[in-house]
Amino acid sequence: MTTFTIPITVPGAKSRGLSRRARLILSRLLVLVVLAGTWQLLYWSGALPEVAPDIGQIVTALAAVLLSAAFWVAVGQTLFGAFSGWGIAAVVGVVLGVAIGTNGFLSRSVGVVVEFGRSFPMLALMPVIVLVIGVNARMEILMVFLSCLWPILIQAIAGSRRQDQAVADTVAVFRISPLRRFWRVTVPGALPLISTGLRIAASISILVAVGVGVLSQTPGLGRQITMAQEASRWDVAFAYIIFAGLVGWALNSAIAAVESRALKWNRQEA
Amino acid sequence: MRFIRTTAEKCWLVVVLVLLWWFTSAGSENVFFPPLATILETLWRDLANGLLIGYLGFSLGNLLLGLTFAIVIGVALGLLIGEIRWLREALDPFVNFARSVPQAALVPLIVGTFGLGPGPKIYTIAFACVFPILLNTIDGVRGIEPTIRRFGKVYRIPPARYFRRVVLPGALPQIFAGIRVALPIGITVMVVSELFAANRGVGFYILNSSSTFQMAQTWAGAVLVGIIGYAITLIFSRIERIPLRWYFTSGAMAK
Repeated sequence: MTTFTIPITVPGAKSRGLSRRARLILSRLLVLVVLAGTWQLLYWSGALPEVAPDIGQIVTALAAVLLSAAFWVAVGQTLFGAFSGWGIAAVVGVVLGVAIGTNGFLSRSVGVVVEFGRSFPMLALMPVIVLVIGVNARMEILMVFLSCLWPILIQAIAGSRRQDQAVADTVAVFRISPLRRFWRVTVPGALPLISTGLRIAASISILVAVGVGVLSQTPGLGRQITMAQEASRWDVAFAYIIFAGLVGWALNSAIAAVESRALKWNRQEA
Repeated sequence: MRFIRTTAEKCWLVVVLVLLWWFTSAGSENVFFPPLATILETLWRDLANGLLIGYLGFSLGNLLLGLTFAIVIGVALGLLIGEIRWLREALDPFVNFARSVPQAALVPLIVGTFGLGPGPKIYTIAFACVFPILLNTIDGVRGIEPTIRRFGKVYRIPPARYFRRVVLPGALPQIFAGIRVALPIGITVMVVSELFAANRGVGFYILNSSSTFQMAQTWAGAVLVGIIGYAITLIFSRIERIPLRWYFTSGAMAK
């Protein structure tokens, strides 16, 4: 299959009896060891800045952070802000998107506005919004909403716009009523694209929620990272960053799992 | 005639929204929402006196360098990881984890520790942009037809040539898709890194004017960032058509 398959040389995997799965786990462990080892070597060589922790300190900090109440409160706050903003954006984006997408004239008209909104780094608006409504959860939710809206909107427009010619003809021939057509043809047709939009927006929501915390001291993961950095505690900051990544990863996999379950019927094309 | 119609269709909403903003904000006494006329005047003033031009140069220079690093590293690693199966399987969870790290989370650590200079900002931008490019490159390499691979093997094309003439062009459409995803991320991180701590740049302009309650300037900065973001996206979609001409004309897009 692959042209440049390099035989796996994992220590301890010499016996051919080892299963593929075991070898995979071993090779992943090896990568982890190599990464940690490289870091440790850099630490010993003095190439890293003075505040940088060594592997032992990072592992200790990981455990300490995991056991601290502050961490779980921060995770809750960040997830709350991210989910609220994402949820509002999902409702607004899908409703607006389907309304725009099913109207040919509107969907041709919104192009520039939607493109502009998508390419606009919403966090740049934060100083303005902070001055207007202050540093609080509402501001965080608003920022997440503004950032999540565009991908959902774009996907919803694209999804409700795409229309198989054969389906359109069928609808016309059988004189299916517009309402029925909307619920039985347009909505199911748009769902796969909408769910992609929701997934993209979900990872954006975590990013923005953390970003808002970093910049504005809204309570949450982002603020904890800034505080750790200001206290020159790189080990704690590292632990928070690693957990922030894990939260995002878990969220992504969860949504992907829900999606593949809910949209099983869509897989038949593939 | 038809051209005029499609252009009108595309632009009327923008015009209406801008006019709406212009007239609803005209004569606004609200400190937080200055009239659009004032915002644009301020924007023009600071552009004309060179202040913002210098800041723009700093910000966009960082973005360009960060993006270049991200492209070089992302494409090189992506070609390797995509082509070598055990590497791909071994690295898979690590790549997925690293790309899930909120890019803004790194800003305090890198910018806060290494200071206000351009270096730390470039690293953060590069780190944030590398993952979409890397993942798309891997996907692009995986998507190359098995027949083409076998041809490469049968004709014993040397690896260097194989990478340059077969794998790279095959993955190019996906690579460009990855860069397109990376662009807005890069712009966001550029702004965030300057909003966090800087003494120059567009983000600094926004932050500085908001902390001194100069709302017109804050808005002007935000508008400028929006225009830059949009302009960069537009320019890129023009540029990417040049190396991808074969792709757009091959009908592969129609599928």
